[in-house]
Amino acid sequence: MNRRVFFLCAALLASPATAPAQNVDVKVHTLENGLKVLMVPRRGDPNITAGWIAKVGSVNERPGITGIAHLFEHMMFKGTRTIGTSDIDKDLQTLARLDAIKGEMQKEEETLARRLRVGEITDTRDPKVRSASHQELRKKFEALLKAQKANIVKDEFDKIYKGNGASGMNAGTSYDFTIYFVNVPANKLELWFWMESDRLLNPVFREFYSERDVVREERRLRVESTPTGKFEEQFDALFWGSSPYSWPVIGWPSDVEGITREEAMSFYGVYYAPNNLTACLVGDFEPGQARELAEKYFGRLKRGLKPPPAVRTIEIKQLAEKKMTGYAETKPQVRLRYHSVADGHVDEPALVVLQDILNGRTGRFYKSLVLDRKIATSAGGGQEGRKYEGYFEVSATAAEGHSPKEVQGALETILDELKEKDVGSRELQKVKNQRAASEFRKLRSNFSLMLQLLLRDSYRGWKTINTDPALLQAVTAADIKRVAAKYFTRENRAVLVFHTKEKPAPEKGAAPEKVDPDLAGLSPEERQKATLLKNNLPAMDRATTEKLRENISTGLLNAPKEGQAFLKALLKIIDGHLEGKE
Amino acid sequence: MKHLTDRNQRQNKTSALRRGLSLLALAGILPAAACATAPGEPDIASHPTQLKFPELSFTPPEAARARSVLSNGTPVYVVEDPSLPLVDLQVMIRVGAYLVPAGKEGIAGAVGSQIRAAGVEGRSPEAFDEEVAFLAADMSTSIGNTQGGASFNCLTKDLEQVMELFFHMLRKPAFDQKRLEIYRSQVLQNLARRNDSTDSIESREWQRLLRGPEHFTNDKVTKTVVEGITREDLTAFHRKHFHPGNFIISVSGDVKREHVLALLEKHLAGWKSQGGEPAKIPAPGAPASPGVYMIDKPDVNQGRVGIGHIGVKRDHPDYFALRVMNHILGGGGFVSRIMSRVRSDEGLAYTARSSYDFGVYYPGIFRAYFQSKSESVAHAATLVLEEIEKIRTTPVKQSEIDNARNYMIEVFPRFFASASQVAGTFANEEFTGRSSDFFATYRDRIRAVTPAEIMRVAKKHLVPEKLIILIVGNSKDILAGDPDKPQFSIRKLAGGRTIESIPLADPLSLKRE
Repeated sequence: MNRRVFFLCAALLASPATAPAQNVDVKVHTLENGLKVLMVPRRGDPNITAGWIAKVGSVNERPGITGIAHLFEHMMFKGTRTIGTSDIDKDLQTLARLDAIKGEMQKEEETLARRLRVGEITDTRDPKVRSASHQELRKKFEALLKAQKANIVKDEFDKIYKGNGASGMNAGTSYDFTIYFVNVPANKLELWFWMESDRLLNPVFREFYSERDVVREERRLRVESTPTGKFEEQFDALFWGSSPYSWPVIGWPSDVEGITREEAMSFYGVYYAPNNLTACLVGDFEPGQARELAEKYFGRLKRGLKPPPAVRTIEIKQLAEKKMTGYAETKPQVRLRYHSVADGHVDEPALVVLQDILNGRTGRFYKSLVLDRKIATSAGGGQEGRKYEGYFEVSATAAEGHSPKEVQGALETILDELKEKDVGSRELQKVKNQRAASEFRKLRSNFSLMLQLLLRDSYRGWKTINTDPALLQAVTAADIKRVAAKYFTRENRAVLVFHTKEKPAPEKGAAPEKVDPDLAGLSPEERQKATLLKNNLPAMDRATTEKLRENISTGLLNAPKEGQAFLKALLKIIDGHLEGKE
Repeated sequence: MKHLTDRNQRQNKTSALRRGLSLLALAGILPAAACATAPGEPDIASHPTQLKFPELSFTPPEAARARSVLSNGTPVYVVEDPSLPLVDLQVMIRVGAYLVPAGKEGIAGAVGSQIRAAGVEGRSPEAFDEEVAFLAADMSTSIGNTQGGASFNCLTKDLEQVMELFFHMLRKPAFDQKRLEIYRSQVLQNLARRNDSTDSIESREWQRLLRGPEHFTNDKVTKTVVEGITREDLTAFHRKHFHPGNFIISVSGDVKREHVLALLEKHLAGWKSQGGEPAKIPAPGAPASPGVYMIDKPDVNQGRVGIGHIGVKRDHPDYFALRVMNHILGGGGFVSRIMSRVRSDEGLAYTARSSYDFGVYYPGIFRAYFQSKSESVAHAATLVLEEIEKIRTTPVKQSEIDNARNYMIEVFPRFFASASQVAGTFANEEFTGRSSDFFATYRDRIRAVTPAEIMRVAKKHLVPEKLIILIVGNSKDILAGDPDKPQFSIRKLAGGRTIESIPLADPLSLKRE
């Protein structure tokens, strides 16, 4: 796991942490400024896993500064008034001058953006389109950056931790939270308090602009240069109506490129106040000493002037099914995403057990779609309960010779069965057994325990680690039937279909050739005939179409091997047409 | 977790005392501490270097104390840890892709997954899976290049039942034909899509360039090969290599050693080992000629770059110095030079690192790598080459070497962070035949590395003339570079060497146009 990488999903929360018999004994100490410290001392190797969570994520952003929670997380490693500089006064002066120049450059860039909008230019990055003053500003900026290096102690924050044997230092930003963590040797507990309280107390966002570029590279790595990343991002934007979950955690490119240091600082003032933070220690330490160090170091932080504002916007009720079809370099697949419930809703335990009924080697999806019908190569689903909203998504990858549409039908059949028929008692007991065992498994590593306590505390409080398991064990067959009927409806969902784009366009700028996935693998002549059929189908009545289908089916039985692909393709076209008519 | 509660009560008593002491310090009774503090915060050190830490002593656990040998000769490591009602058992198996003849590639991987997936003798695959699932046991099997593994985790109360199922599976897998067909269709679909992402292209081609196209570590599985795999192939491969003479077992968690050993004796009884010398693991062929290799993937906006060459084996006398050297060069994350220049200074990449891997059976590979937008690939690659040159020709700073050594010494206990890690490490050391004093002397040998030695090993083991540079991405944009920075270009960094464009292999046949 690379640092500042992962967007943790709330699935972790959807699956509570201990079996009914298991009780995680947590010592809690709350400072006067509102910061809460959770402590679980455990024997083991001489090490402590330490972390803290800020109850802020992309859900707290607004258009224009999307991605700021994540960018801010990056900046928290760039040092403080003490760490990362040899001369803080000079450093701050340079930072102010850099901001000023960047501000002027931003005006030039806005001009270029306007010219791009009206078609005067085609590429804002082309040096030839820049004004002379713009070029001058860029030169000044570069020169100042070089000069600033004399005062910077490079990555001193990392150097101090690493030189003291700290490992696994990382952080992550999600929709609802931002989390920072590290393992320190058991004798270095005070170092952790020193370093973390210092960066909360005195952060200095140096190297802000190069870090913004790093985040752009991160976006290219995770979203833009992966086969389906860009599509998934747009599917999120399609699925959510009014909710701030509609934009990506990493932010829209225009926003990430434009966020200013000033905006980051005001974000910090609201959301990184101690009353919005929880810290957690798990491992080889004494709680008494930890309490004392927490008072001494974190006690320095000042409570925020105002509590962070609540997220106001509630998802608008969806009225009609939404659909998105993508052609990407990926396996043919389908996803059905239903609006469901937020973390902690009374229906969530039943949805989580329902998810377990569907998943795994002996789950209904794999057994039906993969093993019995052989129309998919994989299938799964799950409840994602976030802090303010949630969804339940099921998905499957079509096997060779089968279409996403066919697979979608099979997924729907299984969801419909759940609405109508009780889940068997042994089947229900099986998934409850698995949950009970997994509650113990999740306590195995100090890191995993810390993560769960912090995440839970940022949602509904850490105590849910001890209370949620019983809720899952109490789910009945009737509960499952009820939630299936309530949430799995057509108008409540968005559908994403991926067809395989066979080959990328050979020349940049040339329009990508759209191969109908139904016709892939056919000769040009066969493709032409199939297209003809496709175009004529709408004019045919149902009886004729069905007769035609029957004839082709019979033909298929006697067809030579090399002719079968063509006939199968024809059948698929007809089936698709018939299904569409219903 | 009863022991936690007991311990907490003890600690509460201690903490009351400690708090008393700290209040004295606050009142200024210890003026010595105040000298090194910031104004206004009398008892807080102004810089973490002024903090004083208590000594931490750690003695690594000894393998010999956990080791037993079953009556059939199979070694077993048991590490007891009753803190949670769970048991882990792992079998390491002397088997791997290296044992598969040409034209049958993919058999090892198929056996590895299908032992678990395709049923057992006397039960249908469905019945077996249901039984394992009802017991909430995690059970898996796999075979890699030079090692196979089978493992389970279960609740203590189910141990005997799960163990029965597990060893029956390992000993008598059914390789059910229907399950095999499903596996085949899944593999074929994966093959067809293996050119989708640039990282899968990069890792496949890197291996081919560095190990030579014939070596067994290459992905050589094709459609024809997969279609040719038969149930008999799997059965024969399993029969030949899966026997207790090829096993090393490790068990950890909520168990008693004597009990586990008795259970293992029972389940391995009558399972004959096959004698004979184990097959030799083939050495790689010659790597490709040094130079720049480009693979065109027009529709991505970020290039993936690997820069490296063949290194040394794990038993090389320069092992420890090389590890410290690589930590400074690019292995230490944010404290390393490559990350610092490419990422923090210039913002050209999210990840920029280097690794110096040491082979167990044949020399490992040195590789520096990053991903950067097409136009800045040449710029970032130039910086990486500069850093490789610098560490060969200029002594490292004392602070860099101190930092690297401290890290590696202090992080040492993490090798033994849990019972399952301890047991697994012991088994792995025996499997790969490393001397038992490796961990006992580890920290002293890191401590002994000097700046002069860093330069010596860098000069000897980083060889610019031998570097192979692989670039996967939009070749046109990567070659064009950044119009604002014409001083960096792929042609320049290639020097006199050719830039070779490698056509993308057909995903199903791996043939190239």
